[in-house]
Amino acid sequence: MYGRGVYALRDVSLRIEKGDFVFLTGPSGAGKSTLLRVLLRQEIPTGGQVTVGGRDLARLSPRQVQHYRRGLGFVFQDFKLIPARTVQENVGVVSRALGETSVQQQRRIYQVLKWVGLQHRMNAYPVELSGGEQQRVAIARALVHEPSLILADEPTGNLDPDLSLEIMNLFRDINSRGTTVLVATHDRELIRRVGRRTIALDHGRVAEAG
Amino acid sequence: MHWIRYSFTEAWRSLWRQRNSAVLSVLTIGAAILVLGGFLLIGVNLDRAMARWSAAAEFSIYLRDDITPDERSAINRALTEHPSVASRVYVSREAALTRFTRDFPDLAAGVAGLLQNPLPASIEVRLNPQRSDADVVDRLARQVQASPGVSDVRFDRRWLERLARIAWAIQWAGWGLGGVLIIAAVLTVATVVRLGLHARRDEVEIMQLMGAPLGLLRGPLVVEGLIQGGLGGVLALGALLAGFAAGLRQLGPELSTIVDPSLVGFLPTALSAALVAGGMAVGGLGGLLAARHVR
Repeated sequence: MYGRGVYALRDVSLRIEKGDFVFLTGPSGAGKSTLLRVLLRQEIPTGGQVTVGGRDLARLSPRQVQHYRRGLGFVFQDFKLIPARTVQENVGVVSRALGETSVQQQRRIYQVLKWVGLQHRMNAYPVELSGGEQQRVAIARALVHEPSLILADEPTGNLDPDLSLEIMNLFRDINSRGTTVLVATHDRELIRRVGRRTIALDHGRVAEAG
Repeated sequence: MHWIRYSFTEAWRSLWRQRNSAVLSVLTIGAAILVLGGFLLIGVNLDRAMARWSAAAEFSIYLRDDITPDERSAINRALTEHPSVASRVYVSREAALTRFTRDFPDLAAGVAGLLQNPLPASIEVRLNPQRSDADVVDRLARQVQASPGVSDVRFDRRWLERLARIAWAIQWAGWGLGGVLIIAAVLTVATVVRLGLHARRDEVEIMQLMGAPLGLLRGPLVVEGLIQGGLGGVLALGALLAGFAAGLRQLGPELSTIVDPSLVGFLPTALSAALVAGGMAVGGLGGLLAARHVR
């Protein structure tokens, strides 16, 4: 609940199993992004409990939050790439900071970029890439730490239908390797074409649990 | 080790990106350290000169012409027994005249024209610098002044103490002015580092979401401040050294008439290093203030 009695999410009770692929849908303001922020531990709910992998997110210390986030991957609608860094630097931004050795890091970055089909653009800057390519870089960055859960907030919002399906296929591939995927989108057509479990939110409540 | 290398690389990259503001910040720190260093330099040289003058401090006891041998013995006894007295020399009226004629040749002709020697005999007392507390020596001077056969007592230490008070005031003025400039420098560095942080806010946000440790996000900001402070300190030290050399060239001949040239020198190495370290501390503090905004 935000101030003055405004609820972003209310009476939301749902369970997502390990290895699931779930769409989170609903109109603008339904609470999709808020739910993702709660799962990213950017927000702490004023009531109730959010548990991921047995951990109560509200009880995590700042250090545990950092550790928890390293097990997640996130993808945003606006890609959130660093303009002044190359593709490989964007993908390896945290690995480099965490001190992974250069060889390890380079190998892993190459693997994920190859997996998203961008190994030939490693030294390009984000501005030199198309929207679809930028989103694939963001996905590569989300995958580089082999997360157990991927959160995506409107990842195809800035892409045309063909590119959107291409990105969804990437998510399907990620999911087929055992990673749990939660994608927030209001694109009903895309959900229909991919055909996975869907949770619909409306005015902060679960309208349809799939 | 990796953390340090990463922080330095990122800090350098950020400084380069906003080099114009960084130059301003370095100059501000440099100015603050230069002012402090300038006052320190004056203080150090005054201390050196005063230590030398204190070691040579003496008081002179001028004797009446009609002093009796017993009265002179009583004065000698009082001096011999006193712990503040390192040595004493009796200067006869003739010896005083010879010294005067040697030291002031221009005035020698005038004195030679007089019917009798105008200079009194005296005892020059050299004080022990380690055991010559001002109050104790003052008491001794008053005691000797009151002795029969003594016409006057002149005590060097009094003007040295006045000089010491002036030196103390100069040093505190330096600390005060330097302190104000240092606060300004800390705030400038904090602002410059925060500007850099603002330019990198997307990157910082992404790293936070990816679980980068807080130390890795804050470290480069502190190092940015340290680098600016270190550069400012080195710059100030260089300027101080150049200023000192130029001042010495300009004022050297005049200065040598007041003070022994061997006493005038630049700051000792440890103090010079402390100035640069002080600059780094000022910069680091500014960086730390900016880093608090990353949570």
